[in-house]
Amino acid sequence: MRPVLLSGHERSLNQIKYTPDGDLLFSVAKDKNVCAWFTSNGERLGTYHGHQGAVWTVDVSPNTRLLATGAADNNVKLWNIKTGECVKTWGFPTAVKRVEFSEDGTQLLAVTEKRMGYLGTIVVYDIRYGEDLSDQTDEQSLRIECERSKATVAAWSYLSKYIIAGHEDGTVSQYDAKSGELLLDAEVHDDGYQVNDLQMSQDRTYFITAGKDKQAKLVTCRDLEILKTYKADTPLNTAAITPKKDFVILGGGQAAMDVTTTSARQGKFEARFYHKIFEDEIGRVRGHFGPLNTIAVHPQGTAYASGGEDGYVRMHAFDKPYFDFMYEVEREQARR
Amino acid sequence: MSKTTSRPDWADDVSEPDLSDPNAIPAPVTRTNKDGTKTTISYRIDENGRRVKTTRRTRTTIHRERVNPAIAERRSWPKFGLEKGKPKGPQPDTTSIAENMQFRPSVNWKAVQAEEAKSGANVTSEEKAKKDALKDKKVKCRICGGEHFTARCPYKETMAPVEEGGPAVDPLAEDDEKNAAGGLGATSGGYVPPHLRKGGAAGSGDRMGGKYERDDLATLRVTNVSEMAEEQDLRDMFERFGRVTRVFLAKDRDTGRAKGFAFISFVDRTDAARACEKMDGFGYRHLILRVEFAKRTT
Repeated sequence: MRPVLLSGHERSLNQIKYTPDGDLLFSVAKDKNVCAWFTSNGERLGTYHGHQGAVWTVDVSPNTRLLATGAADNNVKLWNIKTGECVKTWGFPTAVKRVEFSEDGTQLLAVTEKRMGYLGTIVVYDIRYGEDLSDQTDEQSLRIECERSKATVAAWSYLSKYIIAGHEDGTVSQYDAKSGELLLDAEVHDDGYQVNDLQMSQDRTYFITAGKDKQAKLVTCRDLEILKTYKADTPLNTAAITPKKDFVILGGGQAAMDVTTTSARQGKFEARFYHKIFEDEIGRVRGHFGPLNTIAVHPQGTAYASGGEDGYVRMHAFDKPYFDFMYEVEREQARR
Repeated sequence: MSKTTSRPDWADDVSEPDLSDPNAIPAPVTRTNKDGTKTTISYRIDENGRRVKTTRRTRTTIHRERVNPAIAERRSWPKFGLEKGKPKGPQPDTTSIAENMQFRPSVNWKAVQAEEAKSGANVTSEEKAKKDALKDKKVKCRICGGEHFTARCPYKETMAPVEEGGPAVDPLAEDDEKNAAGGLGATSGGYVPPHLRKGGAAGSGDRMGGKYERDDLATLRVTNVSEMAEEQDLRDMFERFGRVTRVFLAKDRDTGRAKGFAFISFVDRTDAARACEKMDGFGYRHLILRVEFAKRTT
């Protein structure tokens, strides 16, 4: 495979996201711009300007009309994807670390940082898709305060029934998406090791978490039961589940502050592929010269992209050996 | 037809429709061939006043791509932000293609990596095994049985080498009992040719033997292969005739391009024979393949 290198950012990448159709890729970095790319040829569609600080997070609405971003300038912005205009800005007292649209796109959650006497919160807004996209409510439909440990990541479960949040102390909690009530709490990662990423499976019945404790876990949404554990040799920043093939992709590497003192080989800046069911590592993809901050998989499972501390996004289209790879038992199963 | 003198060149088509006027240019003729290609014959007059006939064979292939209408619409969106006003297509300052890389998932990836890490100091496992086998081998003189080479024996001039069954046991035979992998199978002490030695197939002679052991009977040599050829293409082409066990496409180490020949091994010789017959002269990537049975290298 020949990766396509996207160098639209001047600083390290924070998150990348494919549209549900997989034709566009959005990337946000510590510089203030948001980039939109065509996945077919790596052409940049445009950039979204307006944030005044590092953009931490991005998500695209299921109908590909709105883009939500959260940034260190304490704002969540909604953008018209087509024109690049900012249609709505919500201000917060602290930085926004994660935004995500619900499955049907009618709700948007935002995770805010705990700082300066403010507790970390998860807030939810209702989103309207009228003729005029700037017609959005200022009213929060839900507000969850994380008193014990701040939330670092959050996502919607199936049918938007729960909000699943990963915390700084390594726990994952399940909130009722209607009432905001804390339903379940599970110690998924080692105590004190932050949950760095949380990505849902396609049907949103389970998710994968990436922890600073060098592990990634596959957890169910309904009862937060740990299904699988993937062990790596480096702190993990991100993890993604691949559709079509039963793999997961983990990304990580040494903390950015230690990078200059080590060589690229020791730095472990590779995307690691694990088999989702058997938990074995099956391969690695090299390329970045910094830790991988974010990985996203094409919704059809035909490609994946990774964004690194080095400021590059690398888009990889899987080739035949990837799709042909099967364990002996899988092959037997397929033959039957 | 009879007025050959009016012809500017004998190589021109025999079936010229109009010969009355040498300067008249017949209208181009297009006809469809059986195999779906089209032949267009057109004429023109070149700078020397000669009539030139051009025959073109064209094949039309239609590539249909089905795209979700929403995606097609998004593709036509005008660019905005920093990209505003830039022409269509990827811009070299933001988009580039990285070097090609191989990604082959494998079940025992971890184990393979560990192995590679171990043999990092240029010592393959095979060499290591050999060294281990030699480590506790003692030097023994064939004349006196002392711990030195026979050539250095102080009694070299005075004593003849001990015969078999003598006081000093044949060191080779003894060694063999200790270490079966050492090579000699028979304890008779006579020379045993390598291929008759016990465990010869697994021993150091393996490399040489391997070449002959491979079933050359069902191996085809394919030459005149295009530079762009891929192993997978060849495999696909030849698998039509039977089970293919091995496809070897010689590639240039630096450029990664094919060198122009390949070997295809079949399980069954009859399949190979059939493939040889059918594929010899087959057109693949603008070149015509030559297929023959591989000759044994002697």
